[in-house]
Amino acid sequence: MSTSPINNFPTILAASIHDIKNSLSTARELIAQLAKLDGVAETPEFRQLEFEATRMNSSLMQLLILYKIDSSLFSPVIDEYQVKDILDDVVAQQKGVLVLGGIGLIVECADDLYCYCDSGLINTLLNSIINNAQRYCRKTIVLSAYQSGDSVCFQVEDDGEGYPAELIADLSHPVANGPGNTGLGLFFAATIAELHGNGTKNGIVRIDNDSRFEGARFRLFLP
Amino acid sequence: MGALGFFSSHELDTLETMVKIAFMNLNLKSKKFLIVEDLANMRKAIRELLYTLDVQHIVEAANGLTAIAAMKRERFDVVLCDYNLGEGKNGQQVLEEARFRKLLPYNAIFIMVTAEQNQSMVLGAMESKPDEDLTKPFNGQQLLMRLERNQTKKEFFANIEQAIEAENYSLAIQYCDSKLQEDNRKMHLHLQKIRAELAVNTGDFKKADNIYREVLAARELNWARLGLGVIAYLQNDYESAIDVFQKLIDSQPMMLEAYDWLAKAHEASGDYLNAQAALNKATNISPQAILRHKKLATLADKTGHLEIAEKAYRSAVNLGKNSVHKSSGDFSGLAKVYSKTNNSAAALNTLKDMRKQYVNDPEAELRAAALETEVYQQIGDEEMSEQAYRTAQELCEKLGDKIPNDLRMDVVKAHYLKGNDESANAILDQLIKNNIDDEHFIGNVKAMLGSIGSEHHADALIAPIKQALIEINNKGVDLFKRGKLLEAMRVFEEAAEIMPENKTIMINMIKILIYDLKKSGFNQHKFAKAQDLIKKAAKYGVNPDKIGNMLMQLEKMSAVNESKV
Repeated sequence: MSTSPINNFPTILAASIHDIKNSLSTARELIAQLAKLDGVAETPEFRQLEFEATRMNSSLMQLLILYKIDSSLFSPVIDEYQVKDILDDVVAQQKGVLVLGGIGLIVECADDLYCYCDSGLINTLLNSIINNAQRYCRKTIVLSAYQSGDSVCFQVEDDGEGYPAELIADLSHPVANGPGNTGLGLFFAATIAELHGNGTKNGIVRIDNDSRFEGARFRLFLP
Repeated sequence: MGALGFFSSHELDTLETMVKIAFMNLNLKSKKFLIVEDLANMRKAIRELLYTLDVQHIVEAANGLTAIAAMKRERFDVVLCDYNLGEGKNGQQVLEEARFRKLLPYNAIFIMVTAEQNQSMVLGAMESKPDEDLTKPFNGQQLLMRLERNQTKKEFFANIEQAIEAENYSLAIQYCDSKLQEDNRKMHLHLQKIRAELAVNTGDFKKADNIYREVLAARELNWARLGLGVIAYLQNDYESAIDVFQKLIDSQPMMLEAYDWLAKAHEASGDYLNAQAALNKATNISPQAILRHKKLATLADKTGHLEIAEKAYRSAVNLGKNSVHKSSGDFSGLAKVYSKTNNSAAALNTLKDMRKQYVNDPEAELRAAALETEVYQQIGDEEMSEQAYRTAQELCEKLGDKIPNDLRMDVVKAHYLKGNDESANAILDQLIKNNIDDEHFIGNVKAMLGSIGSEHHADALIAPIKQALIEINNKGVDLFKRGKLLEAMRVFEEAAEIMPENKTIMINMIKILIYDLKKSGFNQHKFAKAQDLIKKAAKYGVNPDKIGNMLMQLEKMSAVNESKV
């Protein structure tokens, strides 16, 4: 029996993503070495380079996870976490890029807030949303979490122009929306939310432009 | 706009303060770090990162071997180990070996550094789990936060872990219970998990069941569900156990632990084919776990699925090259499979490979010689067969009682094939006596004798020994019930002379000693004797929950005695 090339496409795609990711990590290591040269790290070009590399890595990571979910090779590992720890990790990861970009990241979270989730997945999700916010915000991003009924809500707000209307209309399908916006990040978030179920209730993602700065607001509710 | 600018610089300030606070809580100056990384420039980058965190004591290792050697030389507080280490051991194998050889103190933090998050997800399913994993590239603040979080956790659990390490389960339970009273929200769930495991390991299934159900009432968590299955398994309720594990796998197809337990439950209920199927699936999902390949190989060998057995043995042999679980038994297992399929050339080649890997190792030599006796006879080379047989006999003399049971079976077979029934019967008789209560082993004996056409001989050997054990047991138990402890003990002691490795007899002796200590008060001699017997029972494979239960009863008595003093 001959296998149709089309049937194999997802597999080829996944293998290629792996391969590109390997190349990219070599490139990122080289970028990290470049940063040690005098005066390089502060230049806008270098910052842009670092940011784009991080963004590519994050997109590839999301594609790989989506591929695994799609081929039933993946299930989240749920445990209880202090929400503050999850947010602190994200802040630490984002620190370098944000400082260089002159962007303020404010964190708001009660110490005694806990949630059940796969912390690795939520970390990837939040980093991707914040990467995105960085591109569109002016100066400030607020990352917060709070109890909302029987769910915990993770919220990312920025002071940019907000999400385009088409995106807000339909979250369930990735939409191409001008260069540089495939909708992957939101599609990924919605998929991950779906995987976080408790009884009959699943996690959900909501986006709107009701941030406290009147910019974009992303909310992830985990039951 | 001005306000926003303020946010930005304000945030910078708070970030810096966070780092400083972490410094103060951790005091990394006194901590010993080990960096395991094959690339020199990456080692340098990590070292520089650590210097900025005030770390002063740093040792570097470029591969797994030197990492293990360094850990043998000194105890590290933090090990930063890359998963990809080029040739040789990978990070997981380093961790596995460090834990196996007890090179990591209870408060050490082992951090696995991975190139991508995907990798850490796969690692999460392995048996030895790192304390943390970090995806490259990571910065100082990320590292600090992980270190601090782990340090807090390790400090919180320190006395419990130390008590567990010292096998003082009653003390560990006492610490655990008092900490559960403290109501520390962050640690509560993990405490419950440890408490339930302690209950399982000391045979207190009711307590464990209560905890798991309490946790599950709040949330469906894999480990708690798995725990319920484990409890069912340990109480020989294989049907319920299989049901739990199967449902877990249906909802969590990547949960390898569930496959292992499913296989165990199927095997215990005599369903080898389904056990094999479960392990086969798990090895396909995660091909890195050597112990699972070994288990699958022996199962498939037993069910006669030699193709699966061959593949699994080959994986075990290959993975063994860099693993602490490397064993010459896997080579001889593979050679035996080849010999069964009449592929003598491959069998002999495998044994040749084994000799190369195990130079001056008499056990491996004996494995090779015993099998060569058989294989050369198979291909009609009597001279070589005879020579191998002589070598095997010499090695047997040299090794004496250090020969493991499975190898003794190979030797027995060689004796039979060479017509030396007298030597074969003598060894086999002792083996059966020691393991008469081990159904799997007796099954292996029957299979071996079947393979040389002596099925009837098996029954003739096994039946009288079984009868004798039953009689001794009945006699001892009867005396015990009538309160004649000394006499009962003497019956079992005499039996132990004849079958020194028999588990039923060991357990009965321990039970009598514990009863005696409870009844007639503490006695150092009896106490020490019970301790030794429990150690011996653990060594010969009595279930951990039974061992834990007996240990705990013993500890309680020693605690009572100390409080009297």
